[in-house]
Amino acid sequence: MENRETKLSVKNLKISFRTDGGKVQAVRNISFDLGRGETLAVVGESGSGKSVTSRAILGILANNAIKEGGEILYDGQDLMKISEEEFCRIRGDKIAMIFQDPLSSLNPIMRIGKQMTEAMLIKGKINQRESRRAFNATLQLLNEHMDFARGKDNAEYVAQDKQLCKNFDTFERKHLALENAYNAAHEYATEALSDIDDVLFHIEKHVTDGLLGEIKEIARRASKTLDRYVVNERAEALVSEIETLKTIIRVSPVDTGKKLVGRVIHRELKTKEIDYAAVATSLGKIKDILTEAVGKIAPNFFALGYYLTFAADPLPDMPTDALNAYLRKYLDDNYMLEFIRLAKSGIEHSAAQSLENKKKAVEVIDAIRPTFTRDAYERKDIDDAVKTLVAAVENGIDRLETVKDNVAYTFGSSIGAAVALYFDGIRRNEKEEQRYAKQKANYDRKVAEGKTPDWKVADKNLVDLEAAKTGIIALVDRIRDKYTRDVEAFEQIDFDARTVAMIDYLKDKASGVARKVTHGMAKAHAIKLMEEVGIPEPRKRFRQYPFELSGGMRQRIVIAIALSADPDILICDEPTTALDVTIQSQILELINKVKAERKLSIIFITHDLGVVANMADRVAVMYAGKIVEIGSSNDIFYDPRHPYTWALLSSMPDLDTKEKLEAIPGTPPNMIFPPKGDAFADRNKYAMQIDFEEQPPMFKVTDSHYAATWLLHPDAPKVDPPTAVTDRIARMKKAWADEETAASVDTAAFVEEPAAEKPAAKKTAKKTAAKKTATKKTAEKAVKEKTEKKGGAKRG
Amino acid sequence: MDNEDVLLKVEHLCQYFKMGPGRELKAVDDVSFEIKKGEVFGLVGESGCGKTTTGRSIIKLYDITSGDVYFKGQRICAGTRSYNNEIAALRAAFRDEKAALNQQCADEIAAGADEQTTKSKYAEQIAAASERTNAAVAEVKTRRAAAVHDQKCCDKDYAAKQVKIITEEMNARLDACSTEEERAAVRAEYKDRLRIAKRERIVNQIQMIFQDPIGSLDPRMTVRDIISEGLVIKGVRDKQYIDERVFELLERVGLVREHAGRYPHEFSGGQRQRIGIARSVIMEPELIIADEPVSALDVSIQAQVINLLNELRDNLGISVLFIAHDLSVVKYFSDRIAVMYYGKIMELATSDELFKNPMHPYTRALLSAIPLPDPIYEKKRQRIVYNPLADHDYSVDKPTMRELTEGHFVYCNEAEFERFKAELKP
Repeated sequence: MENRETKLSVKNLKISFRTDGGKVQAVRNISFDLGRGETLAVVGESGSGKSVTSRAILGILANNAIKEGGEILYDGQDLMKISEEEFCRIRGDKIAMIFQDPLSSLNPIMRIGKQMTEAMLIKGKINQRESRRAFNATLQLLNEHMDFARGKDNAEYVAQDKQLCKNFDTFERKHLALENAYNAAHEYATEALSDIDDVLFHIEKHVTDGLLGEIKEIARRASKTLDRYVVNERAEALVSEIETLKTIIRVSPVDTGKKLVGRVIHRELKTKEIDYAAVATSLGKIKDILTEAVGKIAPNFFALGYYLTFAADPLPDMPTDALNAYLRKYLDDNYMLEFIRLAKSGIEHSAAQSLENKKKAVEVIDAIRPTFTRDAYERKDIDDAVKTLVAAVENGIDRLETVKDNVAYTFGSSIGAAVALYFDGIRRNEKEEQRYAKQKANYDRKVAEGKTPDWKVADKNLVDLEAAKTGIIALVDRIRDKYTRDVEAFEQIDFDARTVAMIDYLKDKASGVARKVTHGMAKAHAIKLMEEVGIPEPRKRFRQYPFELSGGMRQRIVIAIALSADPDILICDEPTTALDVTIQSQILELINKVKAERKLSIIFITHDLGVVANMADRVAVMYAGKIVEIGSSNDIFYDPRHPYTWALLSSMPDLDTKEKLEAIPGTPPNMIFPPKGDAFADRNKYAMQIDFEEQPPMFKVTDSHYAATWLLHPDAPKVDPPTAVTDRIARMKKAWADEETAASVDTAAFVEEPAAEKPAAKKTAKKTAAKKTATKKTAEKAVKEKTEKKGGAKRG
Repeated sequence: MDNEDVLLKVEHLCQYFKMGPGRELKAVDDVSFEIKKGEVFGLVGESGCGKTTTGRSIIKLYDITSGDVYFKGQRICAGTRSYNNEIAALRAAFRDEKAALNQQCADEIAAGADEQTTKSKYAEQIAAASERTNAAVAEVKTRRAAAVHDQKCCDKDYAAKQVKIITEEMNARLDACSTEEERAAVRAEYKDRLRIAKRERIVNQIQMIFQDPIGSLDPRMTVRDIISEGLVIKGVRDKQYIDERVFELLERVGLVREHAGRYPHEFSGGQRQRIGIARSVIMEPELIIADEPVSALDVSIQAQVINLLNELRDNLGISVLFIAHDLSVVKYFSDRIAVMYYGKIMELATSDELFKNPMHPYTRALLSAIPLPDPIYEKKRQRIVYNPLADHDYSVDKPTMRELTEGHFVYCNEAEFERFKAELKP
């Protein structure tokens, strides 16, 4: 958990909407992190702000939204502050979203196929361009730092470095050309193999309708597997076999004459004449060849690329293992070790330079900070201060670091936006003030008459100036903290690891340059995706329009489109709510599979707790714009702490529920006037006095589990969760206890997982039990005192 | 099973849709089941398997292709396809017989029999066969005519029956009256009741709750108008009575009187679904067809709506045909469950039995896909994939609906039936 790589982090996000009735506070100060390859499920009723959060991440908030504060950090950018142009690069490509309503997210006048391939084609081109740019820029930067490290004035060294970098570029291209050809052929082979299995199964079952197309497809794919490193030795056999297959299915048309069926002239299908037994034997032979080809070890293309580019001798003839070792050695001796050594020196130089600049930046910050703590801001002073500050901070960034440092990279835009927000707030809004005066007068009159109005007056200032100011100071402090910490940690930097990361980064970018997406490839990929999401007859669907499909089909298309862009972060906004169980679990499996393959991070918004249990690594329960409980999925399901989580869990029937469901009474609060205390207090039967008066902070349950409820305060009385929840947890625990005993008898492979889990589970159980008893004692004592004094449970 | 208990009986219901020349989509194919009084009957299956079509066919939103639907013993839907097929089969049989006889005749003549006598002998036989066929065809045609009549006029028949009952009752009261004023009062009441009785429709006693709570309410009508529309169409004119009923129902479904004057857009999803339920309950139905009533709702509101439906069943004794795909909800709410796949019922059993002894591979696949709020279970859950080609071998022995234990039906063939029997858990 500790060393997970954070992909996206949301900090103190606050979003409101301007409406006729006043300001609706949709999201109130939420923070969470999303790790790489992690699924965070956001659970809550509609109107709890979960969709607003996801939309903020994607930058598609409605026009009346006010971004009141907070930041969303992704890849060195603050998504709350970047411009629309910058967002276009991220949206759909890096962060994709599956919407709840499939009808509104498909274009009604475009064929499915076009909509599916559109993004892939555009992205393919842009990716090539972007990768080229990034590759060139980084390599040049590295080159410069290498020069600095070895002495800038030595012309010989400079030329040598330049040549090295250039060589890297040259042979990397060769490497990618080889590898791409291999990958394509390999993929065709695996696809053909799976298709062959399918067709053979159908032939065996004598279901031959529509098989002809598939057989043709197999022949086409098999003929594309002829790569030097895939099907090589038996290429001739394969070609002749494909020819045989083609002749078998190319039966000369049997003239059955034209027949009138209904009103349509109909020709007897020719497929009936095909000898499927012969097809099966032929396919069997092709299968043998391909299976052997797929099983072969791939050569080391990186080294091979270098050898083929620079070595004078032809490639030695030896088995792949030996060849790989030979090539690797050749590469290391001639090029790689030297390159790594120099690259490392360059990186060290860059880091050292940045260290100096960081030290300077910290000094600058210390000098400038008092400007921001003044009571009133002068526009000019502040602008100047920000300018110098930003320049100093940006100098401190080590540009050769592959993992971008969010805090430093976003500093400029963050502080700019924060300052702009402050000055926006200062500006007077005549209209609002008039409205406020009028309403206030009205309200006061009502109160003077002795009535209590059932409405409140919305504030005239949309921006809280004090909060804006604190925000600015916090930003400055944070960057100072970050830089001082960096300076202290300089000794611990592992430059070898950094060099490796840099070379990987360059390789990755180079492969981006070489990856060209053609129409054919896009189509093949789209059809494969459609098959994966469970769409029957994808080739036919490819040419249809969205209105021709049912709701479930449309939703699957939307999911396929989102996956086609190969995003970094996938936001799923109730993607399976409208689908039935089989398709739902099929799609959840698919998302899980893609997640595992591509290390995808997922934000999964839903209200179905069963789905959450399946998908989530961590769960955040949201209510009235706040996260009320956050923890790993085991925490939330087996040890829920917040009354709202209890209510959610007990209002959902499972297969053993017999008693009446416990629905949550009432409706969520009006967020124009959010309640003073805990927003859930009104609907909460465990609510205490303090719940109506003060908002609870996040109490820590375990390291990964936090909940915002006064019930967790040491002085609070001990409350048991509703029986529906405790019963279910007990039942589940019993179920896996039974299973564990059964499994331990069964096989060794099965034991591994539960055994690993067991001690940890026991430990936490003990811990919490100990805690509980302790809490109980103090709570009882405190409550006694309190009840004597005030007659209610209050925070001591 | 007592016949009195059966509220709705569906027999061999088929609903085909035309998909261009010579092609048909068999949305519902030979489905039979019964719903008893006060029972909740769950219909589950993946989207496109025909469960909604079944519900809509029962309430006569479509003209069914073949089969019968009986409601309280009266046939309300009837298709003609099966009769047409029967007639065609009879005629084909006659044609074959005629050809055979003619052939026989020619053979005998060729063999040297007397031409005249042989011909006349066979002509007689053919005539007899023709007569037999015609009689059989005529009999089928009468049945078909009855079916067509029931399909078209079941409401008219029902209204006539109601009118008759009321007339008799009122006549008796009229006879019992002594003074002229009393007679006049009874006559006035009779007139009023007769007006309503004439418009009575049997299908009104089946009401539907639709899946989409937003789309199924007219945005330009107030809640009062929406809920009372059925009563108004039925012919009730007493404004005060209508208002009372509307208020009563609003309170019953957990809304308040003040909501009557509002428009649908002012309500949340759960409240809208409640309005839909109130609208269907005001007609005092005996059967409610609930077509995915909770799929579009939040978890907490789902629970509220299910609790409401449960209360209605307990207090008013309404039977429910519950169409849904969320198996946990169906299990919680239904007494018996039928699993549908591509227009056919695969398995039908009481809900406990179905979850304890799922026999059909498709049922097993469906049950294995239910997500539960238990992460450890979920991580281990293995989904079973149903592939009809791999799971069944129906090349020789065709499957039919067979009763495995009492009330537990499975669609299978003989070999599978034996296997299922062996696998049965007590």
